[in-house]
Amino acid sequence: MSTLSLGITPSQTIGPFFRFGTEWIANEDLVEEGSIGAIILKGMVYDGAGEPVPDAMIEIWQADANGKFPPDTAESWMGFARRLTDSIGSYRVRTVKPGQVATSSGEMQAPHISMVVFARGLLKPVFTRVYFGDESQSNANDPLLTAIDDESARSTLFAVLEADSSYLFDVRLQDSPKGQQTQFFLFDE
Amino acid sequence: MASGIILAKPQSEEDPPYHYPAYKSTALRGPTRAPLVIRRGETELHSPVFGEGRIRPNDNDLTAQHAGEPIGEKIVVSGRLMDSKGRPIRNQLVEIWQANSCGRYAHALDDHPAPLDPNFTGGGRTLTDGEGNYRFTTIKPAAYPWGNHPNAWRPAHIHFSFYGTAFTQRLITQMYFPGDPLIESDPIANSIRDKKVLDRLVSSFDWDLTIPGTALGYRWDIILGGTNPTPEAL
Ligand SMILES: [Fe+3]
Repeated sequence: MSTLSLGITPSQTIGPFFRFGTEWIANEDLVEEGSIGAIILKGMVYDGAGEPVPDAMIEIWQADANGKFPPDTAESWMGFARRLTDSIGSYRVRTVKPGQVATSSGEMQAPHISMVVFARGLLKPVFTRVYFGDESQSNANDPLLTAIDDESARSTLFAVLEADSSYLFDVRLQDSPKGQQTQFFLFDE
Repeated sequence: MASGIILAKPQSEEDPPYHYPAYKSTALRGPTRAPLVIRRGETELHSPVFGEGRIRPNDNDLTAQHAGEPIGEKIVVSGRLMDSKGRPIRNQLVEIWQANSCGRYAHALDDHPAPLDPNFTGGGRTLTDGEGNYRFTTIKPAAYPWGNHPNAWRPAHIHFSFYGTAFTQRLITQMYFPGDPLIESDPIANSIRDKKVLDRLVSSFDWDLTIPGTALGYRWDIILGGTNPTPEAL
């Protein structure tokens, strides 16, 4: 077994001017309009003054409706989407609610989408997870949600079901008049 | 509490902090509540695969994306994408974006009064090869002024975006050029507090990458953290 450990390349901000380099893949949805089980995930990104952030880049990554990742999915399934927030700080993507996925130690997790957000002013990205507010039973048994003791922090992780199968998930970079900061995560080595 | 999903220590403490007062935009955007450090779940252990169908032939040659030649010093930037054990990350997407040779971005909101170049957009992408190598041909970007503090100038840099084999390896950063005197006064670069860590963002001039009579060459290797763990014994 190798003991070599190389110095990790550090993060820098995405800056304000990335649209012309990143938008080429920023208009694809995960599923086509009208497909079975399609949902809309949409929301806003807010800063610490409660102002919208019009220059954020959001990426989502998730299992398919059966809880599978490539290559164990339909070939058309990428499981990924990128969005650049628009002039009013909003984003919108068409996807499906992911199936449940077990952790490597066999615990069943509630359906969730992994999200990363980049912006000017973020020297490194913020990672979070989007859970679904209408999945109360699986949420109540999810190993991550049940390990977060702070109820108000936990509540920032739920997308709220609105009309027409659309879910609202706002990202709040700090506490502000728009609500409590989203719970963000860092990951172990 | 069987899972022990919440942990004490993040994967890298060498990254810049969320709050760095010298870089003013962090004040209202860097989170103030501490992130929870967690064990990566199954979702985060996978990563998207973009595939060759999305990449066009000139996507890695930023000097060949328009009818004419862009103005400026043509350069080759190449290197290897690896994990912290030195294992190559193969067939994965690498993206770049940058200012032109006058320090101007092809972005509607860039108000620096330097000229745009009709033959240069400044965005490129490629997939790493079977050894994790990437290669771009481009124009050396110039430094540009910004409004962060009086007489503030960003050192010349190329923005880079990387994916690994796990979603948590996602990295966006900036590559600098060797010997640039602006690096030591740049708040964004110096948000990385350890000089040895900051040096990892500085490329090296490399004769082997030069194209005689045409382009100078710079080499820059990238190491992604969050190495996929070896499967634990059950
Ligand atoms: Fe820049």
